[in-house]
Amino acid sequence: MECRVLSIQSHVVRGYVGNKSATFPLQVLGFEVDSINSVQFSNHTGYAHWKGQVLTAEELNELYEGIKLNKVNHYDYILTGYSRDTSFLEMVVDIIKELKEANPSLVYVCDPVMGDHGAMYVPEYLLPVYRDKVVPLADILTPNQFEAELLTGRKITTEEDAVEVMDLLHKMGPKTVVLTSSDLPSKRGDQFLVALGSQTIVKPDGTNTSQKICIDIPKVDAVFVGTGDLFAALLLAWTHHHPKDLKAACEKTVSVMHHVIKRTITYAHELAGPGKRPSPAQLELRMVQSKADIENPAIVVEAKVLQKSSH
Amino acid sequence: MECRVLSIQSHVVRGYVGNKSASFPLQVLGFEVDSINSVQFSNHTGYSHWKGQVLTADELHVLYQGIKLNNVHQYDYVLTGYTRDTSFLEMVVDIVQELKRANPNLVYVCDPVLGDHGSMVMDLLHAMGPDTVVITSSDLPSRLGDRFLVSLGSQRHVRPDGSRTTQRVRMEVHKVDAVFVGTGDLFAAMLLAWTHHYPNDLKMACEKTFSVMHHVIQRTISYAHELAGPGRRPSPPQLELRMVQSKADIEDPAIVMEAIVLS
Repeated sequence: MECRVLSIQSHVVRGYVGNKSATFPLQVLGFEVDSINSVQFSNHTGYAHWKGQVLTAEELNELYEGIKLNKVNHYDYILTGYSRDTSFLEMVVDIIKELKEANPSLVYVCDPVMGDHGAMYVPEYLLPVYRDKVVPLADILTPNQFEAELLTGRKITTEEDAVEVMDLLHKMGPKTVVLTSSDLPSKRGDQFLVALGSQTIVKPDGTNTSQKICIDIPKVDAVFVGTGDLFAALLLAWTHHHPKDLKAACEKTVSVMHHVIKRTITYAHELAGPGKRPSPAQLELRMVQSKADIENPAIVVEAKVLQKSSH
Repeated sequence: MECRVLSIQSHVVRGYVGNKSASFPLQVLGFEVDSINSVQFSNHTGYSHWKGQVLTADELHVLYQGIKLNNVHQYDYVLTGYTRDTSFLEMVVDIVQELKRANPNLVYVCDPVLGDHGSMVMDLLHAMGPDTVVITSSDLPSRLGDRFLVSLGSQRHVRPDGSRTTQRVRMEVHKVDAVFVGTGDLFAAMLLAWTHHYPNDLKMACEKTFSVMHHVIQRTISYAHELAGPGRRPSPPQLELRMVQSKADIEDPAIVMEAIVLS
């Protein structure tokens, strides 16, 4: 497999978020990963302290220029995640446009990180940049419910709403949309959360159809950081192997997430001791220890196919 | 295995030098790798063009402060390589000294990247500090002929009775007609891993390390020649190490060379 990914995300010295979260799993799965570090911090910002430096839009451009001057600006995938800066995001957009011109088959996997549970944790003025410039370029989009609502201006209270929102997102650009989490009630009870996915496929006769799925995911009583970044990287890998089968791609992705999270929470509780809540340092993902699960995940979830629709 | 390495080396967007060369193999072998990127460049400086930014000594210090403030500055290993800057190197020294105070068992694996000289100064180097020294390549004549270069290793042990012993090994390494970049960084990372598993057996640690190097380099040169085409010299991008493709060799290297014990 000769597949090269350009990943533009944060770097932390310690722990697993951003490029630290995405790179190892992709490399273990045989992808070549070129990584541009948008920041270098000591650790993620959920710790008591964090320190470091950010890359400016100019510096990002400089790095890209280096790649381009050597004529090695050919990528099969681009992956982006958390960003706080409009000018940086706009430079990312310019780079993606150019890379898509160089390779029209390029797949842009975009995690439109803006917030969760009803609150934004990036500046508000990033929303129009995502909505109007970034998402239209995306081929695969991994918003959570809140981000999907922000992008479409629609609220999700039922499964039908979720399906409509995913169709609206398709119209904005991406052929593959995964709602990574939602508040929708799971048929399996309140220990589960509901994730949904939708992929438009062009049939041989030229008409569009879409495969829509939903997955019930066991909740875990802890705050993890970097799981969204891991999810997007794994979805890249598994949609690469299952480009027309979102059900299979999501089952593999969610299964790996499950194994990594279980290993992490078990270890965190060991470190913290009985009755104590683990700290952010103790909750860092057990990434290298999960290598075998990343390479060959035992499937532990089943995605349900929702109605197929043509439009 | 719960083993944490602090690696302070370059980062390149594309290719395998510095931290890009060291991190993946160590992670594949189960080490936790904390990495401070001393620079971020588009690619290594052997390409026609390269662009990027360097970390200052102050910025290095700031990153270390972040780790320290969170009380997570406990490491089993420190790994360093190529640096161009004295003030940066002096900040690295301060950090290593502090980390050694926090953990007296810390092992500092140092590739003193200075250029290529090739002189035999094992005992002098031991006297300066390190218990394990590997001269990764030299101009010494190989008994197998001029297609081979000589590498030497030396490891000091203290016996239970307090007396010292030294194990010396010699390897004849097959030359490859190409310029690779990042191989020294990979070597140091793998020597860290294999001396961790064989702390008192330099022969075994070197055989594993040199064998991994052989597999990665063979895979790389084969692929480079495919890309370049017959009769053409491969370019620097074509010669980037086939790192992710070599995962199985990294995890479990078939031993392909013998380290001769000298004394």
